[in-house]
Amino acid sequence: MYTPPLRNLVDELGRLPGIGPKSAQRLAFHLLKVPRDDAERLARAIVEMKDRTTLCRVCCNVADGGALCPVCADDRRDTTTVCVVEDPRDIVAVEKTGQFHGRYHVLHGALNPLEGIGPEELKVRELLARIEPEGVAEVILCTNPNLEGEATAMYLARLLSPLGLEVTRIASGLPVGGDLEYADELTLGRALEGRRSVREEN
Amino acid sequence: MGLLRLDLSSFRIFASTVFEPDPGATTVIVGPNGTGKTSILEAVGYLGTGRSFRGSTREAMVSQGASHALLRAWLEVGGREVQIEAEMAKVGRSKVLINRQPARSRRDLAEAVAVSTFSPEDLVVVRGGPAGRRDLLDDALSLLQPSAGGILEDVDRALRQRSALLRQCRGRLSSEAEATLEVWDDRLGGAGQKLIELRRGLCHSLEAEVERAYQSLAGDDAQRVQMHYQCSAEGGLLDALRRARVEDVRRGVSTVGPHRDDLQLTLNGREARSQASQGEQRCLALSLRLGVHRLVTAQLGHPPILLLDDVFSELDPERSLRLITELPPGQTLITSAVPLPRQVEAASVVDIAQLRGHHG
Repeated sequence: MYTPPLRNLVDELGRLPGIGPKSAQRLAFHLLKVPRDDAERLARAIVEMKDRTTLCRVCCNVADGGALCPVCADDRRDTTTVCVVEDPRDIVAVEKTGQFHGRYHVLHGALNPLEGIGPEELKVRELLARIEPEGVAEVILCTNPNLEGEATAMYLARLLSPLGLEVTRIASGLPVGGDLEYADELTLGRALEGRRSVREEN
Repeated sequence: MGLLRLDLSSFRIFASTVFEPDPGATTVIVGPNGTGKTSILEAVGYLGTGRSFRGSTREAMVSQGASHALLRAWLEVGGREVQIEAEMAKVGRSKVLINRQPARSRRDLAEAVAVSTFSPEDLVVVRGGPAGRRDLLDDALSLLQPSAGGILEDVDRALRQRSALLRQCRGRLSSEAEATLEVWDDRLGGAGQKLIELRRGLCHSLEAEVERAYQSLAGDDAQRVQMHYQCSAEGGLLDALRRARVEDVRRGVSTVGPHRDDLQLTLNGREARSQASQGEQRCLALSLRLGVHRLVTAQLGHPPILLLDDVFSELDPERSLRLITELPPGQTLITSAVPLPRQVEAASVVDIAQLRGHHG
């Protein structure tokens, strides 16, 4: 039905996450219609991103061409606190809170034997290597609150605790501004488990 | 609660049909074998559980030549009318709407349309392997315990992760693998222990109900029914997992845990699975369902819709009658290819041929 180059593009687009055969076809025909310049700009952006993006040598976040990532390059950040996340996108989420002033460490995944991911596939060794030279006093385990994320947090906690630093885990519970009645029973159950006593100073 | 009306399109042999049972009493669907009687019950069961009690795939339930089946039901629940709509896809995602809002979990569904099913296949629970008995307990827990759904999911996932890791060890336990295995032991140990305790508690409350149901079905007060939860992990799952570690690594599978447990059923001290007669086994299978039905009725405050698939062909007339008199009042849908016991009073009898001829 298609010419071989068009078929090729549809196949490549279809391999992207969240893109089904129909969407791939629509995108490919859209690209067929756009001016050559636009198509070239897209192709260049992809290649340039691949060529220039490296991992930050400190925290394994994405960085530009061998440099430090913007967070590690910022010398106002507190180097004694490290927030461990699964994915570079999680940094964006934590940064939006404006409440964390330390540095990050990106694991690039979570323990998941079903997908063949063990500690060696994650940036665990890199994390351990940072503790002493950077004088890290607290590690915040900010992995996802699902089974794999919890397992990863527990694994790291066991590795880090003997090193004599504080290891904390982010709390899980109810979304702020939400209604109790709309919370699912799992979240509400966890929120109950993690309840705190109310004191004057809070 | 009761089903007021059920519309089916492209479901099994029904291109389009409307079924309107009596919402507060017994409706009997009659007709020869293989004409779609069970499919009606299957559709009602699907709306309450999100799956087929016959164990059929969605592909098998959607009519040949159609890509989707549409099931729509109107129910009366505590004086309110509830509408359930299920779009069942042959391949890909299916969805269920409760009053036009998407159902988030099976529990949402079960609360809107609670069903209890009795079918000839229930015999497998007594005669077959342990998996059927564990499913009976877990299905009942999902209805009775709000936390059970999440726990069952965690156990399943943790078990699959641990087993994957064990396979990757290829019989050798490096210190690295041991550190990761410890984490999965913890996950499985935590969720698994909770599940074991829930199942034990259920066995305890179910035993008396099952015995009562059995005695009245069998017409014999002397029959003792015992339900004993056989746990593969003695003295705490986490410790058992640690003790089993070497063996598990060698064999590449998790040898202890809730997935290896069984429910031992005995009749007057004899193992029901191997030492009871077929009649006794059938009677016990029904009693198990009846026991769960009673616990769920107490929990909900009203009886679930009862689906009795072809049970009268399996029971002698006396037991059939006792079964009917044992049932808590409520809506009952019965399929039968044989004449009903004379004392069974049906509010309405629906000939399957009428349903098949209906094009509404």
